[in-house]
Amino acid sequence: MGSQPLTRAQRIRHLLQAPLCALLLLAPLLAWGNPVSTANVTARLLAEHGPAVPGLPLDLLLALDIRPHWHTYWRNPGDSGEAPRIDWTLPPGVRAGPLQFPAPEVIRVGPLANFGYSGRALHPVTLRIPADWPVGEPIAVRAQAHWLVCEEYCVPESAVLDLTIPTAAQAGPSDPRVRDDFARARAGLPAGTIDGAELAGSPSGLRLSLPSAPLGGAPKTVRFFPDAWGLIEHAADQPWRRRGDRLEIDLTPGEAASATDPGGLLVVTEAAGPVRSFTLGVSRVAPVPAPVTAAPAPADLGLPLALGLAFLGGLILNLMPCVFPVLAIKALGLAGQAGLPARERVLHGLAYTAGVLVFFAGLTAILLGLRAGGTAVGWGFQLQYPPFVAIMAYVFLVVGLALAGALTLGGTLMGLGGGLTAGRAGTGAAFGTGALAALVAAPCTAPFMGAALGYALTLAWPRALAILLALGLGLAAPFLALSLAPGLARRLPRPGVWMEHLKGFLAFPMLATAAWLVWVLSVQAGPTGVALVLAGMLVLSLGLWVRERTRMAPVGWQRAGAGAALTGLLLALWLGFATAGPTTAGARLAAEPTRGGLQAEPWSAARLAQARAQGRPVFVNMTAAWCITCLVNERVALNTQRVAAAFTAANVLYLKGDWTNRDPEIGAYLAGYGRSGVPIYVFYPAAGEPRVLPQILTPGGVVQALGTASPDLGQSDGR
Amino acid sequence: MTDHHRSVFKARPLAAFALAALGVLFAWTAAAGPQVGEPAPPFAVADTAGKTWNLADLKGRKVILEWTNDGCPYVRKHYGSGNMQALQREAAAAGYVWLSVISSAPGSQGHVTPAQADALTAEHKAAPAAVLLDPAGTMGRAYGAKTTPHLFVIDPAGILVYMGGIDDRATSDPADIPGARNYVRLAMADLDAGRPLAHPVTKPYGCSVKY
Repeated sequence: MGSQPLTRAQRIRHLLQAPLCALLLLAPLLAWGNPVSTANVTARLLAEHGPAVPGLPLDLLLALDIRPHWHTYWRNPGDSGEAPRIDWTLPPGVRAGPLQFPAPEVIRVGPLANFGYSGRALHPVTLRIPADWPVGEPIAVRAQAHWLVCEEYCVPESAVLDLTIPTAAQAGPSDPRVRDDFARARAGLPAGTIDGAELAGSPSGLRLSLPSAPLGGAPKTVRFFPDAWGLIEHAADQPWRRRGDRLEIDLTPGEAASATDPGGLLVVTEAAGPVRSFTLGVSRVAPVPAPVTAAPAPADLGLPLALGLAFLGGLILNLMPCVFPVLAIKALGLAGQAGLPARERVLHGLAYTAGVLVFFAGLTAILLGLRAGGTAVGWGFQLQYPPFVAIMAYVFLVVGLALAGALTLGGTLMGLGGGLTAGRAGTGAAFGTGALAALVAAPCTAPFMGAALGYALTLAWPRALAILLALGLGLAAPFLALSLAPGLARRLPRPGVWMEHLKGFLAFPMLATAAWLVWVLSVQAGPTGVALVLAGMLVLSLGLWVRERTRMAPVGWQRAGAGAALTGLLLALWLGFATAGPTTAGARLAAEPTRGGLQAEPWSAARLAQARAQGRPVFVNMTAAWCITCLVNERVALNTQRVAAAFTAANVLYLKGDWTNRDPEIGAYLAGYGRSGVPIYVFYPAAGEPRVLPQILTPGGVVQALGTASPDLGQSDGR
Repeated sequence: MTDHHRSVFKARPLAAFALAALGVLFAWTAAAGPQVGEPAPPFAVADTAGKTWNLADLKGRKVILEWTNDGCPYVRKHYGSGNMQALQREAAAAGYVWLSVISSAPGSQGHVTPAQADALTAEHKAAPAAVLLDPAGTMGRAYGAKTTPHLFVIDPAGILVYMGGIDDRATSDPADIPGARNYVRLAMADLDAGRPLAHPVTKPYGCSVKY
């Protein structure tokens, strides 16, 4: 019989079968096998050794060769994406461990960030082969791998990777074709685990602190990759620094920062070295050491009491060395105008008061604005900005020179400086003097003023404003009283030549203030900053000197002199603003060796928490270069043999925080005690509540504070 | 003396409140995006018909925002299966204003003209109250929208009560939908029952928003 003609149905079946067969033939090439190439990735499953040995683990590798500019993802993919995964089909008894992920890179997509790989992603995975696996029988492994690969578009892809592994009683040599791949894969895995990492809340977000010793040399870049979504903003910058033997990284909290496991991976690059990564064991620590409820009196101050204290504080500010000369000069000016009509004198006093109050209102607005902006600032924060310090040094230099008679300042040259020259009567100048007095008084926080200010800054703005205005009123009160009460004014000494002598003498407190400000700058901006501000002072004085010499000269020369003064001023300002550059690391003061043998460690919330957890008593000293009270306390009380001996005897850890430059962590600590300025001294006994010491220290007071916590020490005090 | 004592006593909760407010302030400024329990970021964005939708005008209404991008496989998972459309209809029936938002920049995947957006809505038989076009990404950035899909639920007082994923299965596989826990549905149930939300913040998953 010849071949039967095909029925219509058979023909159709054949027609369908042909492409179906082709598809079945092609399909294994596309989706099964090893390697498998998809549109964007070539995937391979590799085994490290030829024959595997039953009972011994065998390392496999999922290698994804990714199309250029496309990427796959880390185990936490970041803001979007999905990590690769494998569904295994394994013979009974054989088990695959978790897919391992080498250190990822940050892949930025607009405002978002992903964590993943470009070029090649190598994921090791360990296969466990049971000891009773028949030797010689190959192991058939099927891995269905799924991954998301994205450029701008995302494509979910998958492949079924088949691998047949021979078995033998003896392990084969590592396969030379895959040796490099395994070496590279292992190099990407964490070099080790760093324990003792701590995550704490800070006013700027979160701070991760970890021991830096395991990192070895000096890291060039550092980045923390969280294990889980929600802990941090993945795209945010991570400013980091070394502080003592710890590395600190500032993190921006994510959507679920407090509810997410804090673990992760630290990826470090060194100047010339490779990328290294470390698994971090992170524990959470309390944000601010002292709970707000334990804060002393300030938080409990009633408003009338706070207003009274603020007024009193303002009064006392008049006696501050940086304010008194201003007041004295003003009183001097008033004495010079004894013949003025009462109305004008009152106007003068009111203008001065207005100047003070406007300054305080303005400062309150700025302070509250900055607070709302999240910047951790405290009282005296102006002095934490080097160019501000430089410019204040200029102002005091110029005022000093003018008082000494080297310069004649017109009221128009410098509103503030002009107001200081004795004898000038304008209400505008009085206003300027008031504002200047307030400006220089602000950082001089008298001991109990800290409480009033700390209280004010935690309040709603109308109350904060009321308290700061009360402070200003206190500052303005003596002068206002002088101008309001003619009786008082009449008791002022008669004007005479003594005024010139006094004026000349008052140049020196001004110059002393300038010298002090330069020293503050030396701490903030180092030798470069000092050089800049001294050069600025030189050109400014030179310009003003030229102007002074040409004051009585013909108009052309006068113009040249004014030009020289202006040039000097602009150059000086430029140099002053340049001091913002060379800011030194904050630990300058903290690292300064102390004479009395008292060894200080730089303060950090983490160090404090650690020491307290170890049951070690801690003494915290928050200081700043521009805080005179702080320095006096250190000289006369803390850096004495007696205190050092007491500290040693009680094994007290001495932590010193430097608030010279802005530091949000110290700001938070101060806020925790209702303070917004330094100094603050807190003693943490080994057990029990922390104790805040007075702002004026004596050696006996400090020793007693330690002693009340430990009776033995009180006796050793008598030696 | 007693007056003094009283004033001190009265000042205490005030000071505590101020300190707490300060803490909230810090927390608010520290985190970049919107916060659950806080007023939802305002927006005024035009829809495909040119009508401007202003959050302030929606006071008194419950609102759901859904970031979307038709080219994204994770969006397709939920539209291809009809899951998103079912949720939209369910929400509309419960009185929610459902706004789909497209923040893809011009030239990026998912960027569409108003006509194309309407065609997609028709093709998917989707049921949003409107599709908002945010090619500048202003609204997306204000909400910190990271993925497509990314969902936000706002209560009638304008407070953000939910942000996160549509469900807990962060894959592009439609087969995962039946077993998934749909967080938006849970949020609607909690909100309508007057309960605090069991899952106010979850992980959004999908493709990145193409800003």
